[in-house]
Amino acid sequence: MTLFDIIFQGTSDALSAAKSVVEKAVADKGKEHKVAFPDTAYSLPVIYAATGKKISNLGELQEAIAIVESLLVKEQRLENGLNAGLGTALAAEIIEAAKYSVEEAPYVAPLAGHISDPIIRSLGVPLVTGDIPGVAVVLGECPDAETAAKVIKDYQSKGLLTFLVGKVIDQATEANVKMGLDLRVIPLGYDVTSVIHVVSVAVRAALIFGGLEPGNLDGLLKYTLERVPAFVNAFGPLSELVVSAGAGAIALGFPVITDQDVMEVPTRLITQKDYDKFVATSLEARNIKIKITEIPIPVSFAAAFEGERIRKGD
Amino acid sequence: MEKTLLSIEQMEEINSLLKQKAVEAGAETWQDRKEAQKVSCKFGEEGVCCRICSMGPCRITPKAPRGICGANADTIAARNFARMVAAGAAAHSDHARDIAHVLHMSSENGSYKVKDKDKLYKLAGEWGVSTEGKDLYDVAHEVAEVALMEFGKPFGTLRFLDRAVDGRKETWEKEKVAPRAIDREIATIMHSTHIGCTAEAESLVRMGIRTGLSDGWGGSMIGTELTDILFGTPTPTQTESNLGVLEEDMVNIVLHGHDPSLSEMIVLASEDAELVAYAKEKGAKGINLAGLCCTANEVTMRHGVKMAGNFLQQENAVLTGAVEAVIVDVQCIFPAMAALADCFHTKFITTSPKAKIPGATHIEFDEHHAFDSAKGIVKEAIDNYANRDRAKVYIPDSKQTAMAGYSIEAIIKQLDLVTNSHVDKTGTVKPLADCIVSGVLRGAVGIVGCNNPKVRPDYSHIEIIKNMIANDVIVVATGCAAQAAAKAGLLDKEARNLAGQGLRTVCELVDIPPVLHMGSCVDISRIILLVNAVAKHLNMDIPKLPVVGIAPEWMSEKAVAIGNYVIGSGIDTFLGVYPQVTGSAEMVDLLTNRVEDIVGAKFTVEMDPAKLSEQVLERIEAKRTALGI
Ligand code: SF4
Ligand code: SF4
Repeated sequence: MTLFDIIFQGTSDALSAAKSVVEKAVADKGKEHKVAFPDTAYSLPVIYAATGKKISNLGELQEAIAIVESLLVKEQRLENGLNAGLGTALAAEIIEAAKYSVEEAPYVAPLAGHISDPIIRSLGVPLVTGDIPGVAVVLGECPDAETAAKVIKDYQSKGLLTFLVGKVIDQATEANVKMGLDLRVIPLGYDVTSVIHVVSVAVRAALIFGGLEPGNLDGLLKYTLERVPAFVNAFGPLSELVVSAGAGAIALGFPVITDQDVMEVPTRLITQKDYDKFVATSLEARNIKIKITEIPIPVSFAAAFEGERIRKGD
Repeated sequence: MEKTLLSIEQMEEINSLLKQKAVEAGAETWQDRKEAQKVSCKFGEEGVCCRICSMGPCRITPKAPRGICGANADTIAARNFARMVAAGAAAHSDHARDIAHVLHMSSENGSYKVKDKDKLYKLAGEWGVSTEGKDLYDVAHEVAEVALMEFGKPFGTLRFLDRAVDGRKETWEKEKVAPRAIDREIATIMHSTHIGCTAEAESLVRMGIRTGLSDGWGGSMIGTELTDILFGTPTPTQTESNLGVLEEDMVNIVLHGHDPSLSEMIVLASEDAELVAYAKEKGAKGINLAGLCCTANEVTMRHGVKMAGNFLQQENAVLTGAVEAVIVDVQCIFPAMAALADCFHTKFITTSPKAKIPGATHIEFDEHHAFDSAKGIVKEAIDNYANRDRAKVYIPDSKQTAMAGYSIEAIIKQLDLVTNSHVDKTGTVKPLADCIVSGVLRGAVGIVGCNNPKVRPDYSHIEIIKNMIANDVIVVATGCAAQAAAKAGLLDKEARNLAGQGLRTVCELVDIPPVLHMGSCVDISRIILLVNAVAKHLNMDIPKLPVVGIAPEWMSEKAVAIGNYVIGSGIDTFLGVYPQVTGSAEMVDLLTNRVEDIVGAKFTVEMDPAKLSEQVLERIEAKRTALGI
């Protein structure tokens, strides 16, 4: 299969998943049932930023599926691959929104799920000052917990904000990685679609700090490319859906670094098999330079630990 | 922002204004001569007229299906075609031989020096010339000797064949088209096409490929390598193109032809302080050098010298009335330039004993005293400045900025920009291969060749290039095709905005224009080696790659030789002008069909640039589908 076909397949998968999830929600709750993420003024932020449309009930959510369909043009061209990737992002947001619509609490701690506006506002300053030099999205499954911990702690020690999606969350837990917003490691959720909650952060940054007009998709992509220093680490076997989501990340300007064999795209989709070099590869790909020199002390030392309380017994 | 191109209509408007100048001056141009030729002879057009012995000329008609010796249409067309290959290969061969002699002449304090030492040592290593403890110039001379042997060595095959990806070498071996010595292949064709020798069309087609390969992987490749060694491997440089590069108040010298051993010296001479002062003494602000045809390509690649234009623009340069001298050496020079120059103050100066032209001022270029010799020639031009008739001057206000200088080395350096130091090695073609495999780029095409009055000049070049880049196919160009691109504005980095998103993104990341000027006609060897490097990287033979060669407006026998080595190298080749073989169904079948069974690639002929573009894109996609990419 060509790289674009893999992406198109992933988008089709995301599309049919979104369709059935929303259909079921409508069947259960009716079209008028409310749809909203908690604590945000931006409706479904990705759809809102990309199209300018606010969605407030399941009926409108169902209509939004047509946007995903319009983004899936199966001719083998980069723009179609990237658009399909964006389509997957929108489908993921639709699926996640449906979760929040029908379930009382789709995510329970430590899983974060949707990130609220106040948190994003609080992240704004350190992002601008470079105190948070980058945003790492780590998803999938590392070969073992030790590798997962090594990579995550490395980001943590460098002050990056790291979001975890999938089995890597369990691996981090198993390896005793300390998590939490103040520690700058945030487990989002186990489903691939929960990755949209970090995309949502980037998108709201554009709306809040970039003064982006909702509906200005080109402006959004330019902002995220130039101003949001995020990247994706995809570990373990990649389903078409994950590849397609990766294309969405690439469309936003976020490179994807994976330990799997893929058809590489220079600076955008990179295979790195040496886990010891994963962090360095990722930082270089996103052109992230760490401001503070690392201090060679045995305990990871960085701003990420400022919020950590040393408990007795530790 | 969209790049504003110079449209074909605008180009034609300028041409017609210049044509008006010709009419006023009573000068004749190619348009008049084309007109006077009326409809060309059908027998020649179809390749079924033979005059290789004095029993003839014979021509093939339904009533006379055989010449006096019994040769039929297939034999005659094949022989004529093979002789075109031989002539083209001979032109490149002799060009390369000269360069090899110049390398052999090079010395520490002479006019010719070794400029790219690394490239020399690399080649010495490749050819088994020891360098240990040896003087640089001893190495240079030995390498030159080895190169010179390639033209006439009695045994073995060409050394550069070893550079080819395995699949190619095997194919050449198996199909017996691996070229031996360069001049031997040319001589063999002349022998086999003599009366009473080879009559089998297929056999002649194979010989044509072998001889073509002796050019691409022999003469041209040697020419390019040694030229880089002597004058430097090109690096990206900014230049300007089209007749607007001529200057109102400077001594305008136009260099035309092919051989860099002349043009490099003229470049040096035109920068010589003494001569510049002399020009000022004569009332000019300085010396302004501009190139035509492949000489323009050579000096723009290495020095950013401005490009006045391509093949069918050579007369236009004189028609501006602003050119003090047209200095020429060999190949693609209209003999009509002598009479044309007489209608203006322009001095038409021939320099090579290999290309004397009646009516020209002949000042033989002395390679042994190259710099002084060049100075003498430039001085002639300066002396002529006073004779310029200002009333006759019309310099079209039209020029475009362009990037040139994309040797393979330079391209790889640009590609290094997108490597990740923790994953990739630098200095490879991997990023290019990755872009092609992933589909970000759909493929690559080389657009080469001449102008031809049979088709609307430059129209096909420009249309096809635009179609390719809009469809995410990266274009490399050489020769007069590259100049057409330059004139239009397609060699400017801003032209990336005319490209599809895939190519545009690549251009932005790699910091290149969507069309890469890779040099002169002999520099097509660079294209071949680039494709070969990608094939090696992907571990597959060249015919599998989504790569195509296009000669939209070809005219010369050199172009025929080139076409033969391009298909011989496994790259499908599209022609915008019919070769003169259509009187033989068998030749048409061989070239557009059966040859694929021999070398894995074939010719396609299509005169409509829109249709040709479509077919090229289809071929590229078909190759991708076959590879599953
Ligand atoms: S070689 Fe044969 S066909 Fe050609 S001119 Fe002589 S007799 Fe005629
Ligand atoms: S492209 Fe053709 S016309 Fe131009 S210099 Fe080369 S052979 Fe001559």
